[in-house]
Amino acid sequence: MAAKLAHRAGLVNYYSGNIEYSAQPTVLAAAGEGDTVPGDKAGTALAPGRWMRKNVRGDMNMSGHVHWFRVPLSRRRFLEAGAAAGIAAAGLPRIARAATPSRVRGRSYADWAQVDPAFSTGVTEEEVHALIYNKLIQYTPGRKWGWQLDAAAEIAQTDPTHIRFTLRRGIGWSNGFGELTAADVKFSFERIVDPELKASNRPDWGSLDRVEVHDDRSGVIVFKEPFQPVWNITLPYISGNIVSRKAVEAAGGKLGAEAPTVSGPYRVREHRLKERTVLERNPGWQGPKTDFDEIEIFPIDDENTAQIAYEAGDIDFTRVSLASIDKLKADPPTGSTVEVYPSLYYVWVGMNMENPKLTDIRVRQAVQYAIDVPSIVEAAYFGVAEPSTGIIAPGLIGHRAKSLVPPQANIAKARDLLAEAGVDGLALTLDVLNKSANVTAAQVIQATCAQAGITIDINLRESGDFWTLGDASKGDQWKKIELILNRFSMTPDPYYATAWFTCEQVGIWNWERFCNPEFDALHKKAMAETDIAKRAKMYERMQDLMEQSGAYRFITHEATPVIYRDTIRPALRPDGLPLYRFFAKA
Amino acid sequence: MFLYLVKRLGLGALIIVVAVVMLYGMIHAVPGDPASIILGPKATPELRAALHARMGLDDPFPVQVARFLANVLRGDLGTDVFSDRPVAEMVFDQLPHTLALIVTAIVWAMALGIPLGCYSALHRNTAIDRITGVLSVGCIAIPSFLVALYALLVFAVGLRWLPAIGAGEPGDLASQARHLVLPAFAVGLGWVGYIARLVRASMLETLGENHVRTARAFGLPERVVITRYVLRIAILPTITVIGIGIGYLLSSAVFIEVVFARPGIGKLIIDSVTTRNYPIVMGSVLVSTVLFVVSTTLSDLVNALLDPRIRSGL
Repeated sequence: MAAKLAHRAGLVNYYSGNIEYSAQPTVLAAAGEGDTVPGDKAGTALAPGRWMRKNVRGDMNMSGHVHWFRVPLSRRRFLEAGAAAGIAAAGLPRIARAATPSRVRGRSYADWAQVDPAFSTGVTEEEVHALIYNKLIQYTPGRKWGWQLDAAAEIAQTDPTHIRFTLRRGIGWSNGFGELTAADVKFSFERIVDPELKASNRPDWGSLDRVEVHDDRSGVIVFKEPFQPVWNITLPYISGNIVSRKAVEAAGGKLGAEAPTVSGPYRVREHRLKERTVLERNPGWQGPKTDFDEIEIFPIDDENTAQIAYEAGDIDFTRVSLASIDKLKADPPTGSTVEVYPSLYYVWVGMNMENPKLTDIRVRQAVQYAIDVPSIVEAAYFGVAEPSTGIIAPGLIGHRAKSLVPPQANIAKARDLLAEAGVDGLALTLDVLNKSANVTAAQVIQATCAQAGITIDINLRESGDFWTLGDASKGDQWKKIELILNRFSMTPDPYYATAWFTCEQVGIWNWERFCNPEFDALHKKAMAETDIAKRAKMYERMQDLMEQSGAYRFITHEATPVIYRDTIRPALRPDGLPLYRFFAKA
Repeated sequence: MFLYLVKRLGLGALIIVVAVVMLYGMIHAVPGDPASIILGPKATPELRAALHARMGLDDPFPVQVARFLANVLRGDLGTDVFSDRPVAEMVFDQLPHTLALIVTAIVWAMALGIPLGCYSALHRNTAIDRITGVLSVGCIAIPSFLVALYALLVFAVGLRWLPAIGAGEPGDLASQARHLVLPAFAVGLGWVGYIARLVRASMLETLGENHVRTARAFGLPERVVITRYVLRIAILPTITVIGIGIGYLLSSAVFIEVVFARPGIGKLIIDSVTTRNYPIVMGSVLVSTVLFVVSTTLSDLVNALLDPRIRSGL
């Protein structure tokens, strides 16, 4: 169909025609004089303004009939434009003509509190730390786990307990704190394992012994025993952030809510508690140029609120709830892309092996077979997540291709096992954190277990109560645990998954009280194993042992759905978490 | 009057002390270990012990309460375990947002509710009165967070007239006002209905009083009769209710602060309770209690100003 256009600049805001649009944008944020319709061979001109594309017919990946329409001014834009015009007319040309800084607005599920990596509480603080600090290496954005050099010009493991590094030149600290040197690296890493500091992130460094400094730019990280997770969860993540020794010492040994100095591409311009953080370019940054002048992070803990904020145009990138995925994919907001990333979290039903009702392995196995995982995933996770095969997510070393107990329930087998164990009319409690997905999952478990003759009584627990249920130091309440629907966060190394199920963790985080010497030995050995294939086999075996104990029924790794504007190109980890430093303009 | 004020302040101080003691007891009775929640899986026994010591949880309960109250008298509400910031600084950083929300909500509710109530009372049993009655009850019945969600969908998402989240730019009154429109609307809508019904009922009662009949008999203009002789008396219960309502709003503001991702003391409290961040819980609730006591005292004083009978009895 020939292009139909009745166009005189500014009078007609519409274009309709057939174009090849597979590689064309869907939004033109600001068409200027001389700009033409993307993909239109006739070179039809567009009036200045903001244009959006709507595909009417055709193959999404090839060509078809499209409409390009100029977006009319919204009330807010009209007021802003009017205000700017008024200011200009009032003779304040500098303000009126000041260039609007480019920015990206993201969302975090909680607000950050402090800038000390040794005490960082996790993802929400790391989103800021990663922008204001450097590490030796950084995660590479994309769908596969990997890392890239950051402050290090080169880094290599010279033997199982030694990692040599050399820093790039020209990384400076702001506010007159000099250059980032190997001494800062030594200070940053050693302080985390210093017992005096009582750093909460000490376990991240495993068996770190010391950091030797050869000169201003080079050194060696020395471990007492091999610690392979350092490449996946330490150096490129929270505890790998390098701080200024001078600044920390001047602050009394610990940093608080304000960073006295930064070395990364951004610095914190404003932090309004529970409301917004604004980061602006660090003028002293000599590294690769970032696309955005400003990054704003809004702490919004409710995902529905975040989605509304996105649809209202207040943020550009956010995670959304699983419940919204179908609707968002079918009818995304204009100029938006929706993607789903696999999550690293692992959800499972655990059984207290020392509870008198569950000491018989046949009873535990009956519960395993009575739980139908696909139904839980469909009901609680809207079919977006997949049933898991263990505690290690796909894409990580040690992920199992399949579980020993099939995900589908086998009610007949569950009944047989109970009969074999001589148990009739089994009644169990299921402790659950009071989140909607968990409640739904618990109800599905209750329904399928009922078919096997197991009565499940659901105990909803508030967060503070739930997370101390199995803590033996708080009293004997752990003895009352029978079944528990649990969910742990994860980092991209399998060590971080198995660490909580060792004998040492019984009464701490190992609420199933699962204690297997082979498991413990494998956990220790796998930490040090440098051969990836051998390491993978060890973690697979560990999960086999967990499942064979009957105390675990693996449910899912959940999923991370995200939505973002077509005007940005987000940089995300393989689990969907943002790496703001690498966000770019589309 | 002065003695009355002193007595009220004394009573207020007692209320605060009792509230603090009760709160201390309650949050310590609630299950959940702060160290496990704050530190997560990395909470080794040594780290937990260190955090307990830092939060002063190792001391006996009466010692903890006494220490807290003594610190409060010095203006020290404690320190946040995450950021090492003074709790007072964090609380007073958030408080203005909640106060702005509450005051705006109450003011617009009064601005609309009082005239509606008056009109309904003066046009009793007319169609307008009946419609106002139905709408008032409807406004009371709808939860504020539901109003908030629909307001967001219509005005922020659909029409893009108003922002969905945040509290606006500091120092920019226009921006802050725009960010306040939807939250204050959501909070205040129920109060419009409530105040309208309350004023209507009070006015109907007062309109039947002898002094009103006398004033009309003297030939005073109806406008003067209504404003000076009727409304001035009828408004007293409403002022008392508003004084108590401010305390209620302090706690219900948390829903609005979550829906609008708006900073405020309600959100601060809920986040702190969830993470068992006791210093912030104590500091926030203490400030809320003080505000509640102040607002009820102020409403009593306003009543005394308006009604000489109350004033002379003090």
